[in-house]
Amino acid sequence: MAFDWLNRFQHHLEKEPDYAAKTLAAYRLGMKAKGPIMGVVVQPAPNCCDAARRLPAGEVYHPDQAPILPLPDCPQGRRCGCVYRPVMTYQQADEG
Amino acid sequence: MDSMAGVLLRVPLFKLYRRLGWPRMLPLNLTLSPSPKCNSRCLTCNIWMKRERELTLDEWDKVLASLGQTPYWFTISGGEPLMYPHVVELAQLAYEHCRPGVINIPTNGILPTIPERVERIARSCPKSQVIINLSLDGAGERHDFIRGVPGNFKKFEQRLEQLLSLRSRLSNLTVGIHSVVSVFNVGHLDEIIAYADQAGADQFITEIAEPRVELDTVGLPITPSPESYAKAIDRLIAYVESKRFTGVARITEALRVEYYKLVKRILDEQEQVIACYAGWVSAHIYADGTVWPCCVRADNLGNLRDHNYDFKEIWFGEKIQEVRRSIAAKECHCPLANASYTNMLHDIGTLARVGAKVLRSG
Repeated sequence: MAFDWLNRFQHHLEKEPDYAAKTLAAYRLGMKAKGPIMGVVVQPAPNCCDAARRLPAGEVYHPDQAPILPLPDCPQGRRCGCVYRPVMTYQQADEG
Repeated sequence: MDSMAGVLLRVPLFKLYRRLGWPRMLPLNLTLSPSPKCNSRCLTCNIWMKRERELTLDEWDKVLASLGQTPYWFTISGGEPLMYPHVVELAQLAYEHCRPGVINIPTNGILPTIPERVERIARSCPKSQVIINLSLDGAGERHDFIRGVPGNFKKFEQRLEQLLSLRSRLSNLTVGIHSVVSVFNVGHLDEIIAYADQAGADQFITEIAEPRVELDTVGLPITPSPESYAKAIDRLIAYVESKRFTGVARITEALRVEYYKLVKRILDEQEQVIACYAGWVSAHIYADGTVWPCCVRADNLGNLRDHNYDFKEIWFGEKIQEVRRSIAAKECHCPLANASYTNMLHDIGTLARVGAKVLRSG
């Protein structure tokens, strides 16, 4: 994919304390407003913790049900490299 | 700063600054995003979902005062900037404190209040060129589909007509059409070019859809393939080169062609083709007061609320040093138009090609 460096780069950024709350609130609003977003996935970091590794790969969550990042026992804390990604309706159409 | 000559005189100084860290200089090109709120639902952007503890006008006043008369080019971005309730006052503050040569505002053209707000901005910033770029991502229904708003194209046409009619009263107003070339319209760029050609706007510009941290589009498949982009943009280049321009437009159009060619190379080579000056010459202030080198990486360089609203504290501080190292080491690359045009002004090869082209067409 084009500009894949940015994907890797974002995995290395230290998270703001309210990362999960703000990101999921945005997606919740996006879905409520019937934008082209249909859920959220967790994209684990290459060096993610065991708990992140155990998450079902590619699972699309409603923002209310998504795991909170960093996961509770993540040893990396705010340096956790896992990120949320929005899932868009057009991505599902492409796959369908 | 209100003259392009002043900008060009600073080019060698910024080249030194990037290379040696001296002389310390404030950015010439500043993007302000007062709010992420937007009434479009574009397939290529998710910023409209965000909510922030936005800077108040009083806070913007202090921030802009700290910049002095250094910035030449302001972009007031969003979200939809002309939906931001204090956009007129924000532009006035930028004008009063910084006296910029250009105030550039993109808009989706939806709200009926847009012409009145634009007129107030242009009237209250008489020595700045006020550029309003109306977004157009397709001719007709394709525009509405990509931007997620039924009836948006009709509103675009109304707003364009209203803004064009303002030009007779406002000599400092430029009205342009701006298209984002994405996977959703790359095969239909000809339609947009044909539409823009007869629309009567002062300029037609395009930018490629790209992942940005700001827009929460990282990892989304919105960027056209290098092949499809090249095929489409080559036709736009041929169109631009078939036209005859006079005056300053000869330079700006030559720069645009250079930008389109640069984007092709960045897509092909996936690296920083010319040196990036984001973090030296250009910067971005987000709605909550966070300073970024650019909206693509959106590194948190510091929040103005934590620095007494003094931009200089962040710009000349410690935290920015590592980000500058990373950018200079080419750890990133992107075709962001705003930064790219600044970068091209600092690239001798680009300037030589633009100069030669302008001389040939003279």
